Amino acid sequence: MKCKRVSRIDLVLEGGQWSGGDSTQVEMIATPLPMQPTGYVIKSWAEKPYGTIKTLTVDAVHDGHALAVRLQWEVPPATTTDFPPAVAFALPVKATSPLVLMGMAEAPMHILRWQGGAQAGVRSVLAKGIGSSNHGPDVGQKALARQDGNRFSVVITRVLGSGAGAAPLKAGTTTKIGFAAWDGGNEERAGIKSFSVDWLDLVLAA
Amino acid sequence: MSKRQVAMVMDLNKCIGCQTCTVACKTLWTRNEGQKHMLWNTVNTQPGQGTPHNWEKMGGGFRNGEPQPGHRPGVGDFGKAWDFNYKEAFHGGEPGVRLAPLGGEPGQGPNHDEDVGGGTYPDNYFFYLPRLCNHCTHPACLEACPRKAIEKREEDGIVLINEDHCRGFRFCQEACPYKKIYFNEARGISQKCIFCFPRLDQGVANACARQCPGRLRFVGYLDDPDGPIHKLVHKYGVALPLHPEYGTEPNVYYVPPLSPSKHDADGKPTGEMQIPLDYLESLFGKKVHQVLALLIDEREKNRKGEKSELMDILIAREWIKNFGPFDKHPRSIENIKVVVK
Repeated sequence: MKCKRVSRIDLVLEGGQWSGGDSTQVEMIATPLPMQPTGYVIKSWAEKPYGTIKTLTVDAVHDGHALAVRLQWEVPPATTTDFPPAVAFALPVKATSPLVLMGMAEAPMHILRWQGGAQAGVRSVLAKGIGSSNHGPDVGQKALARQDGNRFSVVITRVLGSGAGAAPLKAGTTTKIGFAAWDGGNEERAGIKSFSVDWLDLVLAA
Repeated sequence: MSKRQVAMVMDLNKCIGCQTCTVACKTLWTRNEGQKHMLWNTVNTQPGQGTPHNWEKMGGGFRNGEPQPGHRPGVGDFGKAWDFNYKEAFHGGEPGVRLAPLGGEPGQGPNHDEDVGGGTYPDNYFFYLPRLCNHCTHPACLEACPRKAIEKREEDGIVLINEDHCRGFRFCQEACPYKKIYFNEARGISQKCIFCFPRLDQGVANACARQCPGRLRFVGYLDDPDGPIHKLVHKYGVALPLHPEYGTEPNVYYVPPLSPSKHDADGKPTGEMQIPLDYLESLFGKKVHQVLALLIDEREKNRKGEKSELMDILIAREWIKNFGPFDKHPRSIENIKVVVK
């Protein structure tokens, strides 16, 4: 995935840095049911389809100081309002572990996760395994979101650079990126979600 | 596995449905943002829908050791307390304005079927069933949580939700077969009865138990042979868990209710209890038959002036002994500050 260098990043959903974009269609699948962390989750979702978000349309740009990622997707009509829509991208802090493992002790992943609803906002999360996610470092994360019917657009930004627990980002280098999305209208939350199966290359232009 | 287990016993023969326990709990713990609908302690009329409405049909718990899918009760299921037009009715000065719920049809409140009960006259019957989190030995909520945000305290087996770890996934609500977990929509976290652990930590019994005018609640450790809990649960075996078939091994126990005799066509007592035994069996399991028989025997001994330790305990002649080691006065606590780590 290319991360084009632009002159300036604004927290906008359209126009500006997104003009003439080079979107990537990221295929998503449901997380494996046997890997859910509790017997209750496995049993209660055994007969219920999840991972309804099949594709994320992703754009990424940076201006030498900040990264902006725009994520767009559609969901089927909601069956509940109990859970919020959510989307996240993950970056490796050091080495990469299989994305499906949500990081490992020696290979944590740094996640920026946006969710809508009553507690709307973007959180920085550090994960070292399934069910282990905890507060992550402050990387100046911000988000802007819009819902048009069943279609969502979310922009998440953070500063480049590195720090304790933060996934390092530097212009002119390549790192990895992975994605997850939750269809809250289908009661998707926690490990019940869509994910991008494997890491993708994120090439930050010099 | 906890080293010890605190437990509560409630003698249903003494509950008068006054809701003092409910108010004591509400006043102490659930007056903050997002907690309006929360009643960690409830008292409902049996037979009845309970709170949340029809909770016994909402699933969860374990069958043959396997977790069972359950319904996730919402605010509407718990029943919203009604707000009334007090200002207009009492101070508005408009003739014809009567006291009424605000917002038109208010829906079912949390205790909407109070005193309805079952049966037909003259053998209609009901009894009150106070409920709180059962602080189970095998907590379905704890096992369901993908974030391990629910803990069972090693020192006393109290089950607590760590609010810093909870992300509001609400699997615990689905998994709890007793439906005693609430969701705080304002904070995005699940909350429930904490068994007044900050009081217990300082030797003071739970607010619901301490405030009970009927003196029907007992608190203590299951393994304390001198305490009321051990005697009622193990020595005499008269305290039974609610719905043991749910498989979570609750640590709140009930002394099942005796009831007056049914009547024949001439109005004479038949000797058969008004509360159907099969109904009580559906709540407390097959042991309820022998428990009721023992209670009748011990009551008779007491009537004859014979010594009955069991009746002495249940009558609560020495009320403070209801609380085992938690017999300090609440005034002995300078300041309760809840810190859940």
